[in-house]
Amino acid sequence: MGSMAIRTDSLTKRYGGVTALDGLDLEVERGEVVGYLGPNGAGKTTTIRLLLGLIQPTEGRAEIFGVDCHRQPVEVHRHLSYVSGESNLWPSLTGAETLYLLGRLHGEVDENYQQELIDRFDLDPSKKVRAYSRGNRQKIVLIGALMARPELLLLDEPTSGLDPLMERAFRLCIREARDRGQTIFLSSHIMSEVEALCDRVGIVRDGKLIEMGTLTQMRHLSALAVEATFDGVIPNLSNVPGVTVTEADGQVVRCQVQGSVEPLLRVLATAGVTRLVSREPSLEEMFLAHYGAGDPSGELDHVAH
Amino acid sequence: MSRTNLAHRLQHPTHFTYSSRTVVFALTARKMLRSGVLWGCIFGISVYSSAISYTSIYKTQAERAALAAAYGLNEATSALFGPAPGLQTVAGFTAFKVSMTLMIIGALWGLLSITRLLRGEEDSGRWELLLSGQTTRKVATAQVLGGLAVGVIALWALTAVITILTGLDSKVDIGATSALYFALAMVATAVMFVAVGALTSQLGGTRRQAASYAAIFLGLCYAVRMIADAGVGVHGLIWLSPLGWVEELRPLTDPNPLALLPIIGFTVVVASVAVSLAGRRDVADSTLPHRVKANGRFFLLSSSIGLAFRMVRPAVVGWWVAMAVSGLLYGLVAKSAGSTISGSSISNVLSKLGARGAGAEAVLGVCFLVMAMLVTFIGAGQLSAARGEEADGRLDNVLVSPKSRTSWLGERLTVAVSVLMVGAFEAGIFAWLGTASQNAGVGFAKLLESGVNLIPPTLVILGVGVLTFGIRPRMTSIVTYALLGWSLLVVIVGDIGAMSHWILDTSVFHQMALAPSVSPNWEANGVMVGVGIACAICGGVAFKLRDLQHE
Ligand SMILES: Nc1ncnc2c1ncn2[C@@H]1O[C@H](COP(=O)(O)OP(=O)(O)O)[C@@H](O)[C@H]1O
Ligand SMILES: [Mg+2]
Repeated sequence: MGSMAIRTDSLTKRYGGVTALDGLDLEVERGEVVGYLGPNGAGKTTTIRLLLGLIQPTEGRAEIFGVDCHRQPVEVHRHLSYVSGESNLWPSLTGAETLYLLGRLHGEVDENYQQELIDRFDLDPSKKVRAYSRGNRQKIVLIGALMARPELLLLDEPTSGLDPLMERAFRLCIREARDRGQTIFLSSHIMSEVEALCDRVGIVRDGKLIEMGTLTQMRHLSALAVEATFDGVIPNLSNVPGVTVTEADGQVVRCQVQGSVEPLLRVLATAGVTRLVSREPSLEEMFLAHYGAGDPSGELDHVAH
Repeated sequence: MSRTNLAHRLQHPTHFTYSSRTVVFALTARKMLRSGVLWGCIFGISVYSSAISYTSIYKTQAERAALAAAYGLNEATSALFGPAPGLQTVAGFTAFKVSMTLMIIGALWGLLSITRLLRGEEDSGRWELLLSGQTTRKVATAQVLGGLAVGVIALWALTAVITILTGLDSKVDIGATSALYFALAMVATAVMFVAVGALTSQLGGTRRQAASYAAIFLGLCYAVRMIADAGVGVHGLIWLSPLGWVEELRPLTDPNPLALLPIIGFTVVVASVAVSLAGRRDVADSTLPHRVKANGRFFLLSSSIGLAFRMVRPAVVGWWVAMAVSGLLYGLVAKSAGSTISGSSISNVLSKLGARGAGAEAVLGVCFLVMAMLVTFIGAGQLSAARGEEADGRLDNVLVSPKSRTSWLGERLTVAVSVLMVGAFEAGIFAWLGTASQNAGVGFAKLLESGVNLIPPTLVILGVGVLTFGIRPRMTSIVTYALLGWSLLVVIVGDIGAMSHWILDTSVFHQMALAPSVSPNWEANGVMVGVGIACAICGGVAFKLRDLQHE
């Protein structure tokens, strides 16, 4: 078995004219927790379904633990669990019946851990799936995947529909899994989730992986986040070299600074700033800086003039 | 976001021409118009073919009188297919020949369409999406009913037009007014069962439940009118059955438009109750209490094949009961129906269908053809269920476990074939029970063999279905049921006698010898089994290589 948990080699998927995934080269080490971030339609689900062998690549190949995902899917599946954000279950089965079934399909279940997970996620397993809310269905799928303690967890927007309390339970489980040495590949569009859990993050957009690195590296690549509160007329910051305005809310402007902060400081010094906060940007802000620049909203324009 | 929206609009230019207030009506009407036109053609063609076949088989007045005398007062056929008061005329024969079949097909069309559009959409969550637009549950339900009305009108119009065109032939001679009234009678069950299905969609918790309740009601209606027509002195019962009302319309023979009153009243009342219930209950809930909680019952859940059995169990049990009941009924009436045949020209009709011999066996030959169709429905339903697992994404859960696609498909086909084989054996066994009770003198071995004879045609349709599933999964149900419908149409229309061999050969039911009236054709059966298996293998290979496709 290879040492890489996941390895793809110019993995490409086209649907007719639409390129859902475009030449993805990805490597995930054993034991890593990797976040996979991107807006809706970026190609996250496509990537994961390719890894699972549920869809066939147009070009390129993918391996999990050194085994080809498309030639030997059954072998690949022995080592992983999958959580889809859409939780398509059998409406006529109860939660308990569903968990029993999922366990038998996978073969190995840690019964005690299953019960622990049910308690932690506060799930009533005696209801029929049809009677559960979306969040509760999602809990079943999550418990089903976690209880098998697989070497690799492929999670596709796994927390859709969960409330904040359950989101916390989920994060705890993922940290435990990491500590146990399980590999986790987490697709998400929720930055804070990825930021809280992942060692490395890939950012995908329009089917292309546009960034990949540790959080530290990404911060280094990106800029400083500056939040300034003005008491009078707001100056036009978007013309200042190296500055990208990410958000403007009344008298408060948030922006990112690439390179030296000197030009910005010079403008601010003459503009009546009442409050100035500067810190490393969150993933969310990096994301907005990345995508916001290509698609300036009217609001930002208004502030700029 | 805005870009996707634009792309979507460019690809579907019609989408933004609907006003948001009537979008549900417009979408439903568009779907149902297509369906109504298609089934209207099928209705019309069956009318055309029976009228023309009658004129070519019974040329002289004497022959027609003989047919009417031999068959017209037969209680057994009247119980099965409705009374036959006018066999001496083309119009009377045509009405008798197609009425019961079209009434049942119309009812099924209505109840399956409405439960799909109301309850099916709700099960899939799309309904909630529509309701979050500018409409209420009540209004949306009424709009779906309105959309279905468009389909019903199309169904009626095409049936009427083809009947009128057929009637222009001087040998047939059916007037335009009679044709319009006849077409109305033929769509009356569709109208009533749209209303029934709308009601059961509010009562049941899922689409399957809603469709089953409506189908059970249809079965009851059929049974009631069957007893009423069986000539045991309770003909008044006919007024208790919606199918009986349609029968009492007596199109093309002795029209009685008064029978329209209960039909209209029933439809209006049932549809209004449905709409008002729709306004009162919660989305995705049912009006009848259904169990939300249940003790875990883990039987059959240890493997994917067990899961497959458990998921199809309710439908399968229904089919098995239907097979047993039809086998028994056919067996019970075979002897008396057959007694009028020997020596009469009616054997002509049966022989055109491929049934030989005399008496009970000749009748059973045709009855087994009907049961072959039922068995095929069982097989087609199993395949649809398998595709449904994939379409709704539930299959993902199974296939991301160490379970290969080939073995999953193999299991589903094992389930399908076992289920339909049980149905086929039942046909033989229960038909024998029926005949034995009447001392009809048809042997057990012979009827069991006739049951087995029903399996090969189904395997062809199942095989072609699997091939479609492998290559174009979204077309699975359409192709399977289209082939089934086509095969049926060809054997019904085939008795014109003028149809080319090439066309006849495309019908799997034409390939099947009509046992027990003749011996099964084991050579043809072998070929059919071979074709079925070959198609299934190709389909399996294609399935292994393709993407899983959600709906
Ligand atoms: N079966 C399909 N047919 C056609 N296009 C598809 C299909 N599945 C996904 N796509 C397209 O591929 C792109 C990526 O989709 P997806 O991987 O689901 O995105 P994400 O999961 O990141 O939201 C989207 O533009 C989507 O419309
Ligand atoms: Mg997705």
